[in-house]
Amino acid sequence: MNRRIRLRFAAVALVLAANLSGCASSIPADPEGTLDRVSGGTLRVGISPNGEWTDMSDGGEASGIEVALVEEFAESIEAEVAWVEGGEEKLFTQLHEGALDMVIGGFTDKTPWVNKAAITKPFTEVTTSKGLENHVMAAAMGENAFLLELEQFLLNQEGAP
Amino acid sequence: MNGNNHPADDGAGFGETELPEKQQETLKKAIRLEWITIGFLVVTVTLVFLVLGNSQAMKAAWIEDLLSFIPPIVFLVALRVARKKPNPTHPYGYHRSVGVGHLVAAVALVTMGTFLIIDSATGLIAAEHPSIGSVELFGQVFWLGWLMMGVMALIALPPVFIGRAKMKLARELHDKVLYADADMNKADWMTAVGSIVGVGGIGLGLWWADSAAALFIAGSILWDGLKNTRAAVEDLMDTRAMTFDDAKPHPIVHKVDEYLRSLDWVADAGSRARDQGHVFHIESFVVPRSRRKVSLSDLNEARDGCIALDWKVEDIVLVPVTELPRVVQESQPARV
Repeated sequence: MNRRIRLRFAAVALVLAANLSGCASSIPADPEGTLDRVSGGTLRVGISPNGEWTDMSDGGEASGIEVALVEEFAESIEAEVAWVEGGEEKLFTQLHEGALDMVIGGFTDKTPWVNKAAITKPFTEVTTSKGLENHVMAAAMGENAFLLELEQFLLNQEGAP
Repeated sequence: MNGNNHPADDGAGFGETELPEKQQETLKKAIRLEWITIGFLVVTVTLVFLVLGNSQAMKAAWIEDLLSFIPPIVFLVALRVARKKPNPTHPYGYHRSVGVGHLVAAVALVTMGTFLIIDSATGLIAAEHPSIGSVELFGQVFWLGWLMMGVMALIALPPVFIGRAKMKLARELHDKVLYADADMNKADWMTAVGSIVGVGGIGLGLWWADSAAALFIAGSILWDGLKNTRAAVEDLMDTRAMTFDDAKPHPIVHKVDEYLRSLDWVADAGSRARDQGHVFHIESFVVPRSRRKVSLSDLNEARDGCIALDWKVEDIVLVPVTELPRVVQESQPARV
């Protein structure tokens, strides 16, 4: 590679570094602006019923361990939760298409939906008859500011590993 | 010079060739540097693996680091093999191990470069948005991207210095694997900066920056591979002996011709040389002034004189002829 290209490359890197350090507080940013939109707005959450973690009454009332967590998280960013009930495939397709912001359903870190969603860090560990289970939630792919906000909230919970 | 009486099994030689003291020192330095490189790579590969995340650029950089193991290992293995003496099954010795190693390393680079280009382009076309979440370190929860960029910044520069040092040694030892390795190390900072740009781009909300940076890194791997494949194949095809960086024909062949022509029993001389790895095998054709009077001692003296010119002249064959072969004549553009 010749000197001129190398210099130009170094210049681009420098400009980028300057940019990065200049707005460190807004890094990471969401390509689709999820966190900005839901803060003080509506958080669209897909819910797939799964025992004590997530449940939906006939009247459309959500309950369960994860539901409580999501509601608390929504409160922390002053958002209203809009629940969307469905099967996992439907919910994850909607999440991938941008029609939902996150999906819960008692998922563990063994979830096969890794190509459709950003899987959070485990927020709790449970020992079952099948061994240790690490529970996670799913957020929209690549919305890193939102993902970071959610993970920071979850990791600050009591009982987080 | 021709160390038949001094077996070089202490690692200071190539086949029958015993290295001059200066080159022995250089060789020891090169071996030490390659071990340092391997040690550095073990640390790098582990660190980068720990912060890999979902970044395609980081994946590309990690694979490049993995591939960087090949040249030092090839160098060290080829050195061991090339040390063996010629024997009835391998009458030319084992010098070509260097060329074989060079080719293997180059093909590995081409394969991985191509794979990564396809992999990264697919991600770019499918508009995959890379997700990078948080990391907990020393009780602090922060964005994993910062850690990725930090690690890459940390490992960007050392290979450049190691590469520069190796380049000097490659020239002295006439070792093309070492040269290829040094050349790749010298350009290694661009991979690190490339992945910092990619992850930084993700941080700014530019999802495509990651795949674009990965494409850039993959392109540089493929380019290295193609360049080295070409050089390795040329050497295995017995292209005329070139300098260690393939920049120009090696001057030693011309020196041998000049030396032979300066002998008073020689009317004309011309040589062809194969680069065996570190050393050259040379066939020199000489046209004596008088056809009848070529004594064995003349030939012997001439041969020793050629070998004394340079340690790389290991195996030289003198062939008295009435007329220089066409190919040797054509390779002497300086004389009309």
